[in-house]
Amino acid sequence: MWRVFIVEDDPDMREFFESGVARSTHLCVAASAGTVAQALALLDEADPPDVLLTDLQLPDGSGLEIIRAVRQRFPACESLVISMFGDEDNVLAAIEAGALGYIHKDAAPDDIAQTILDMKAGASPISPMVARRVLAKYVSLQSRRAELAEPPPQVLDDERPALSRREQEVLELIARGFSYQEIARLQRVSVHTVQTHIKNLYGKLAVHSKVEAVFEATRMGLLPRVSR
Amino acid sequence: MKASLRRLFLLLCWCLSAAVWAGQSDGLLVLDRAHAVVQVGGQAQAAEVSLPYHWDRLHRTQGGWGQFELAFTLNDRPSDPWGAYLPRLGNAYRFWLNGNLLQEAGNPDKVNGEDHAKSSTYVPIPTGLLTTHNTLRIEIRADDGRRGGLSPITLGPADQVLALHQEAQRWRVQVSMSIAVFSWLVALISLVLWITQDDPRPGQPRRDNTYLWAALAELCWSLRVGDVAITHPPIPWPWWGIVATASFAGWICCTALFCHHVAGWQNGRGMRWFSLGVAALFLSSVAASAISLFALEPAYLTAWLGLANLCFVAYALVYTVAAWRKPDVARWLVALVGCLNVAMGLRDWLAIRISGSLNDNTWIRYSSVLFGLTLVYIVVMRFREASAQAREARDLLAQRVREKELELQESYRRLEQLAREQERGAERARILRDMHDGVGAHISSAIRQLQSGRSSQGELLSTLRDSLDQLKLSIDAIHLPTGDITALLANLRYRLEPRLRACDIELEWAVDLIDPIPWLDAQAMRQLQFMVFEALSNVMQHAHARRVRIEAEAHDGLARIRLIDDGHGFDTRVPPRRGLKSMQERAQGIGVVLDLQSQPGRTVVAIGIPTGGANGAG
Repeated sequence: MWRVFIVEDDPDMREFFESGVARSTHLCVAASAGTVAQALALLDEADPPDVLLTDLQLPDGSGLEIIRAVRQRFPACESLVISMFGDEDNVLAAIEAGALGYIHKDAAPDDIAQTILDMKAGASPISPMVARRVLAKYVSLQSRRAELAEPPPQVLDDERPALSRREQEVLELIARGFSYQEIARLQRVSVHTVQTHIKNLYGKLAVHSKVEAVFEATRMGLLPRVSR
Repeated sequence: MKASLRRLFLLLCWCLSAAVWAGQSDGLLVLDRAHAVVQVGGQAQAAEVSLPYHWDRLHRTQGGWGQFELAFTLNDRPSDPWGAYLPRLGNAYRFWLNGNLLQEAGNPDKVNGEDHAKSSTYVPIPTGLLTTHNTLRIEIRADDGRRGGLSPITLGPADQVLALHQEAQRWRVQVSMSIAVFSWLVALISLVLWITQDDPRPGQPRRDNTYLWAALAELCWSLRVGDVAITHPPIPWPWWGIVATASFAGWICCTALFCHHVAGWQNGRGMRWFSLGVAALFLSSVAASAISLFALEPAYLTAWLGLANLCFVAYALVYTVAAWRKPDVARWLVALVGCLNVAMGLRDWLAIRISGSLNDNTWIRYSSVLFGLTLVYIVVMRFREASAQAREARDLLAQRVREKELELQESYRRLEQLAREQERGAERARILRDMHDGVGAHISSAIRQLQSGRSSQGELLSTLRDSLDQLKLSIDAIHLPTGDITALLANLRYRLEPRLRACDIELEWAVDLIDPIPWLDAQAMRQLQFMVFEALSNVMQHAHARRVRIEAEAHDGLARIRLIDDGHGFDTRVPPRRGLKSMQERAQGIGVVLDLQSQPGRTVVAIGIPTGGANGAG
């Protein structure tokens, strides 16, 4: 049974998600919090959760702080973001903080448990808009590296989360609106493989956000270059 | 500059005292009596004469030949070499001692030929030629009005006498030549300045004639002073004499014009008369010189010089008063130098033309240098002033450029602010329109449904879901790439597919990758999004379809979106419902073609978008 930690400031909504989680026999609510401070305090006290379900806009800060804290303390715990609109800015920020997906506030109660279980089973949803943004980010990062016309810092060689060709193809198809099933058919792979690609991609995006910061800092001369 | 002037003054004082010292040298034998036989106008006369023998004075400038014998005795025969020094001798001469020809210069028989009387003469006397009783015989040729004659002869040991000669030569020839070269250089510089310093502004004199008159004055003076070294003039005497006088007149006339320009009187009403007067003075000098030399009437030239002196004394006074009234360094300098030169001119006139000194040299040739130095000072000051003005102009320009840059920055800032405000305005309008057409419309529908009490919970839920979906699509529309239909459809599918699934409607996806259509701006994309959303919403709510197929392709300049469902269809001939009507209006608004075909089991909503540009959008 997966232990779910819920952070949501609206009590009704929190209750709604708690009941959604409780619908599944494979899930249970580990703890609930309404603020960042409460959540961080509970993380210190309670047993490690398996799943974090957090809103982004909290009264005393951002849910991204909690995602980062969980990722640091309990690497095995997977995070989902509660989003009203699933808009790409918030979703991308959450993914880069380490989240593996999101749940809409208007989701049906059954869908809540299902989304959590799908995630634990290896699925991670990604919207065409987010896929397009991710592709654009990688293209611009690559072109900036080409502009510099010199080897990137070594740290990038060690950790560079380069997209594989297959991952890039999957992203392009998602951006064109194809579903995972359709992509699996087009790519002649299983849906599970497609989901694995996406999940890997999520991991890379979280790394990417860190590496991009290092890369930009090096480019701006804030960090020394490491010679090969 | 003041120090230079002071040094020049001291130099002049020193040279004057040196000249006096030379005339008073003691311990030497000075011969100033002679027995002369002269031949003038075909008549010969013999007489005892005293020296200097000023030919022009004694013969009213009429030329001729003379033979002078001077006997002198010595106590002992000198054992060292001796020499004879004559401040003036000629114009041509032969110098004999005890029957021996010691020296000759020029051809005594060639009238108006070479002139050797301009500089002093030194004749070396070899050892052994002198006895206790000696006779000097000097034959000269004197031309009309050429300041010929014989000055007293100084005899003595060679080194002493040669020193006298060299001293005299230094001042009369060498310094004069230096002055001539200096004047020539000043003339050249002035001429270059006059040519190059032109002012192209309309209404302004193109060139500064101060430099022209200075150049001409110095050129004339260079010729006049340099004449001392010209023994073989390029044109015969007395024509050359007229040229020399004209050079002097040219110098004083051009100097007067130069002074006038320095005072800033060149644009005054009197300038025309002054110029005429100066021209008349110059021309009259030629006439006076010609009469003096050709008609042998030296009084005319003396009178002309007297007149010139008078004029310039008056001019110097006027100038000095003017400089006093309107003080200015350049004016004061010119006034002082002018007064000094006028005084020198007056002295020369009295000493040479009136008292008839044969040996005397003009002093004005030395004082004239001050005019050249004054000009140099004026030029330096003007350039300094011009540099200062240029610096000021540059600073002013730099300041104006800075001000303009600031103005430009400010206007850019305002433009940017305006653009931002316009952008915000457009964004506000878009959001308001979205709320009005989308969320607002759906919420009011939901309220009406609730008020009527006839709607089922499912219908109400559907309306509210539509409202939330519209809101999500509005937010997505902010990020939609301009003209990217594929992205638009992909996003719509992502948003609506859960609802399609909930309605048990299977979706078929046949969307090609279509190149972005540049003319489809954010507003047009939003309208297109509304249209496809409306069509899908109709399928979900009214069509009772089991399958919907979304197609998109582009070829032959047209992008086509088609939504095909297998629902029970509708009659396209009856007036359309509100949703369909709204779709038609939006299609018309952005210039795309909407085509509806419906029959039971197959309804096709087709949207044709020209890739090149809108179809009569309005």
